[in-house]
Amino acid sequence: MADNNYDAIVIGSGISGGWAAKELTEKGLKTIMLERGRNIEHVKDYVNANKAPWEFPHRGGRTQQMIHDYPVLKRDYPLNETNLDYWASDKDSPYTEVKRFDWFRGYHVGGRSLMWGRQSYRMSEIDLTANARDGIAVDWPLRYAELDPWYTYVEKFIGVNGSRDGIEVLPDGHYMPAMEMNVVEKDVAKRLKEHYKGARQMIMGRSANITEPLKSRTNCQYRNKCWLGCPFGAYFSTQSSTLPAAVATGNLTVRPWSIVTKILYDKDTKKAKGVEVLDAETNQTYQFYAKVVFVCASTLNSAWLLMNSATDIWPDGLGSSSGELGHNLMDHHLGVGASGHVEGYDDKYYYGRRPNGIYVPRFRNLNGEKRDYIRGFGYQGSAGRHGWSRDIAEMNIGADFKDALTEPGPWTMGIGGFGEMLPYHDNKVTLDKTKKDKWGLNILAIDCELKDNEKKMRKDMLNDAIEMLEAAGVKNVKGLEGDGSPGRGIHEMGTARMGNDPKTSVLNKWNQVWDAKNVFVTDGAAMVSASCQNPSLTYMALTARAVDYAVSELKKQNI
Amino acid sequence: MDRRTVIKNLTILTAGVTLLPSCLQKQEKALVHLKNFSLKASQEKSIASVVDTIIPKTDSPGALALGVHLFVLKMVDECYSKKDQQNFIEGLDQLDEVMQKNYGHSFYECNIKQREDTLLALEQQKGFPTALITFYKILKYRTIQGFTTSKYVLSNELVYELVPGRYNGYFPVKVVNLPSKKNA
Repeated sequence: MADNNYDAIVIGSGISGGWAAKELTEKGLKTIMLERGRNIEHVKDYVNANKAPWEFPHRGGRTQQMIHDYPVLKRDYPLNETNLDYWASDKDSPYTEVKRFDWFRGYHVGGRSLMWGRQSYRMSEIDLTANARDGIAVDWPLRYAELDPWYTYVEKFIGVNGSRDGIEVLPDGHYMPAMEMNVVEKDVAKRLKEHYKGARQMIMGRSANITEPLKSRTNCQYRNKCWLGCPFGAYFSTQSSTLPAAVATGNLTVRPWSIVTKILYDKDTKKAKGVEVLDAETNQTYQFYAKVVFVCASTLNSAWLLMNSATDIWPDGLGSSSGELGHNLMDHHLGVGASGHVEGYDDKYYYGRRPNGIYVPRFRNLNGEKRDYIRGFGYQGSAGRHGWSRDIAEMNIGADFKDALTEPGPWTMGIGGFGEMLPYHDNKVTLDKTKKDKWGLNILAIDCELKDNEKKMRKDMLNDAIEMLEAAGVKNVKGLEGDGSPGRGIHEMGTARMGNDPKTSVLNKWNQVWDAKNVFVTDGAAMVSASCQNPSLTYMALTARAVDYAVSELKKQNI
Repeated sequence: MDRRTVIKNLTILTAGVTLLPSCLQKQEKALVHLKNFSLKASQEKSIASVVDTIIPKTDSPGALALGVHLFVLKMVDECYSKKDQQNFIEGLDQLDEVMQKNYGHSFYECNIKQREDTLLALEQQKGFPTALITFYKILKYRTIQGFTTSKYVLSNELVYELVPGRYNGYFPVKVVNLPSKKNA
């Protein structure tokens, strides 16, 4: 029994769980990190990281067998031969789509921190006051001044490269030297600046790849193979960054194959006393006990766990008293943008494969502008030389064609939008008690859609992209208009939102469950609004801040 | 004649009987092993010949020598739907029919000019059956992919560095140009 007692339990080992484990163990708490999937050991288990392109039998593509085995993952780029082992099995862990929702999951130690896009942006005061200003959903229970030091704390530890651009809607942080724009991107940025007189800007992306050595991690080697796991530890992941720090304290236990099925609520103390775990390999059940529980299972699974922890006191789940648990699901909507050819740079190229692109911060609905929708979007993109010239028909086969194949292709420039999605009460997840997963557990039903505000915004996302590339002198600009299925952004947020009022929110301003004060939810579930920036950096900052608060409350014996 | 000799002769004869008719009918099976559909040897030869015509041997190895036709077949076998595979075979047979009609031979038996003329006409995509166009699109796309990602090309032409080590946003093309070009 003694072996099952800890000071703290962390559920999940991804971006948020890794941070919770690091902070808790560094503050001296004996902590167990429970991960539902297998272990992936840093470097050793990155089995494809050092393969050359020709060593992948299908060159990284997808086989019919893979398409058959992964009915959800096949909907977008994640289904590929190079890192298939990092994606959860759709068949073992099905979910019900009341409406189409693309849910791409990573069930292993490190979670999606191994495969994430690494773009690392802060939310601004404009984002944190947006709900209050627009009179929708609930207000964020904190302001930028409270988050700012935690962003800095996180950026210093994980290593983020970027430039300080002085843009109000995209606050500057603590950065390592920025990566470099290539020659075409520099020119496009300059032309945009001139054309829009600074109202729309193209800056270098800010990403969690280190450009200087950091502790035992080597700076980025420009391989652009991050999604395979980095043998140099050059991008932030649980494995490269937070896990070694937590392990170094001697206070951490990691238990893979541990599906947490419920949080054990004690109605006498009105707190959680621990969790119940189903061993994914043996199907045995275990209980672990602790003073504090951090729920970092990813937005939808954190909501699932709380709902699955129903008691006679909370029949709809732990944290359900407000009626908001599982609701207000958000993502970033994408799949809209433009691309075209850039002429006049045939004698110019670049060297190395940069794992980062350019960024156009939000420019709509700012400074008094009012479109027919609220909020805004940003663009991510890049310029590069790909493919080969196909202009001359006679050169399409034979010796000349063969030569052309080994020349650098034409320059192209493309940008794609990331739009803010509003928190709607009826975009939600519920337990589907009619179906079970491989382990006999009820599955989630997801009922989520883009609504008018997003659909109107997408028109601007398309038209502005075309207009901006044309203004920058890009030729043959073509708009790209995808369907924007929610989930595709892989930025699920909002199913256990923070707030100032226990009647309308699941968590308080410290990510503490109103209904059980020693339970903290610090992943994307806590988000009150989405902004249009990539959200992971905010999860890290919220997690570090919540642990600091939790430990001080523990010391004061308030929880 | 002792018994052993008789058995030996019989064996040879039996083997000959089974081999002979298939040779005459040109229906021997292809050498490549496929999981999801099968090819006749003549079909395999035509595929190899199309690949060879698209990217021929010059002062450097062509696609055939780099085994690109085998890559193409692996991809068609494992990465395409049944329907695409049927289209592929049907289109391949249509190509050989076109060659038989125009030149009296299968694609692989035609001379280089006949083969090139036919593929250049196919590039225009007009006046050919849909299956043939589909076949050619799949085959050409996978030929280019197999060639440009082959070990030879990525080691000698478009040199692939596993660890570039740095990024330089502006690099003159001449320096990037490749050993074989400089020597030419």
